[in-house]
Amino acid sequence: MSISLKTVQNKPEPVAYSEAALRNNAIVMEYCRTSMAALSGSTAGVLGLTGLNGFAFYMFSVIILWAMFLVKAGPNWKKYYVSRQSLLTNGFLGALFTYVLFWTFIYGMVHVY
Amino acid sequence: MAELLLDPKIRFWVFLPIVVITFLVGLVRHYVSIILSSHKKIELLQVQDSQVMIRARLLRENGKYLPRQSFAMRRHWFNNEDTGYFKVQKRTSNAQNPMTDPGMMTDMLKGNLTNVLPMIVIGGWINWMFSGFLTTKVPFPLTLRFKPMLQRGVELAYLDASWVSSASWYFLNVFGLRTIYTLVLGENNAADQSKVMQDQMSGAAMAMPPDPKAAFKAEWEALEITEHKWALATVDTDLLTAE
Amino acid sequence: MYNYEELSINEIFDLLRKWRDNNERKSNEIMSLSERIMDNLDSQPNEKYLILEQLIMADLDCNYPMLAAKWIEMLDADFPDSLRVMKFKSMWYEAHDNYEQAFGILNKIIKADEINAPPALKRCIAITKAMGMTNEAITKLVEYLNQFMSDMEAWQELSELYLQVQEYSRAAFCIEELILHQPHNHLFHQRLADIRYTMGGVENMELAKTYYCQTLKLNPNNMRALLGLILAANNLLGHYKSSGSAKRKEVWKLCQWAQSEVTKRQREAQGSNDSALTSAMLALTIGD
Repeated sequence: MSISLKTVQNKPEPVAYSEAALRNNAIVMEYCRTSMAALSGSTAGVLGLTGLNGFAFYMFSVIILWAMFLVKAGPNWKKYYVSRQSLLTNGFLGALFTYVLFWTFIYGMVHVY
Repeated sequence: MAELLLDPKIRFWVFLPIVVITFLVGLVRHYVSIILSSHKKIELLQVQDSQVMIRARLLRENGKYLPRQSFAMRRHWFNNEDTGYFKVQKRTSNAQNPMTDPGMMTDMLKGNLTNVLPMIVIGGWINWMFSGFLTTKVPFPLTLRFKPMLQRGVELAYLDASWVSSASWYFLNVFGLRTIYTLVLGENNAADQSKVMQDQMSGAAMAMPPDPKAAFKAEWEALEITEHKWALATVDTDLLTAE
Repeated sequence: MYNYEELSINEIFDLLRKWRDNNERKSNEIMSLSERIMDNLDSQPNEKYLILEQLIMADLDCNYPMLAAKWIEMLDADFPDSLRVMKFKSMWYEAHDNYEQAFGILNKIIKADEINAPPALKRCIAITKAMGMTNEAITKLVEYLNQFMSDMEAWQELSELYLQVQEYSRAAFCIEELILHQPHNHLFHQRLADIRYTMGGVENMELAKTYYCQTLKLNPNNMRALLGLILAANNLLGHYKSSGSAKRKEVWKLCQWAQSEVTKRQREAQGSNDSALTSAMLALTIGD
């Protein structure tokens, strides 16, 4: 995971964001999120989770990914992201769709027949 | 309700092929549209306009790093009543009919060729080839409302709503594989059918090139109300206190 | 940085790709690798032509016109009438000081494709500059910038040209344009401060001081900005001598701070030197 450095001046007053770096970070995070959704969806399918358990597992993996982002960014996360909340919530539904697809697919492959 | 038992052959001859076909068709579409895409003919004036717009936007956003005088000078150059760039440059709003422009017509035709045609052909083929199968079951309970969505082609009134028919499984794939295409092909790929469908619903597929006249007006207004706030006013004391 | 003899072929191609992506010219380095690149060119079918272009540039830079001509012919055979190859032809003529021919080709390119003309237009300007006609180059460049206003390279070049003819306020304008495009780049701030300092006068000196401060804020290791800050502050102290106001006090503080920073840096640099020197001395004494 390569997160390019976003320049933020050391004073809180005028914060200037580098747009290209922000966009790059967003793309990298989108990439991580899609991979996470696909992987955790497959996992849920193999485990044979059904109903609410599956959605709980999705929440769980989203939060794990968020924690991983935070650990990776370290104490000066402000350098890379504008806000920590948006890390958690961005693309939540889009990834959920991917998750459900993979979940259904693997579940169908393994458990239905 | 008793569990249904599906023939395992359905898994290998219906369920899996649909996923693979949908995915591969997406890939093929991507590359075909790259081959067919014509080099967009842009006018020199359009390039110039877009660059002016970029410059004006940057002035608004980063003007705080310039001394007040330099900022005012640039704004004057853009916005002055008599000599300002946005006032002097007269652009005709080009709301031309796409039907009169042969280049645009062929573009639209190519768009249809790569977007709509495979959709109809593949969708129809899947419907014909794999119709009438129940392929899988979604691992969560659903209400009856979802029945027409998930059980297209299988009209059984008493079937549990979580069963998915083959035609519906195809559509689920069409929509759900979008993010995977982004993963495999990168941003802005042409494999994504669902985006095209959305475009056609909102009629945005025939979007015109943005009207420069209106854009100039908007940028003029935005610049006019921009206030200059000198960002470096306290930089020397900042430097001393940072120690 | 690299030991070119020891690199494997794949590493060489990786390196070339890196240079290409970062827009680094590295002509000498490429020349020193060129033989091995040529031998293995066919192993990289996807990048072959891009690498050829890099080779041509390097050959022209290092004055191997025969080699460059060979590659250009190769490209020409594969892509007849390509504008991109034509550009290299014009550059080949340019390398031979045959400016007329080069201009002819470039004009053909510009006529053929107005939208993608910028590289050719820029080459025209570069040739004009090489012929020593700075003023003509400036006129052309201004004309060019009128059409392509967000071309940072061009703004930078224009400021250099204005500096050559000592039009400082115009050069400052160009640098300000660059700052608008990249407010994070400390070098632009430093350059603007340099120009303001050169222009002189209380107002400009104030601006120079401010921009040197901004440079140091963005990059505390910029030694040139630190020294520039001392000069600008000293100059301002001279101007404020009569007033003796709060302003003077502030500048005085800033000057003190900058000087202490400089001495700190110097001591650090000397410290490492010192140890090296003492160890060298010790080595000598043992030898005795």
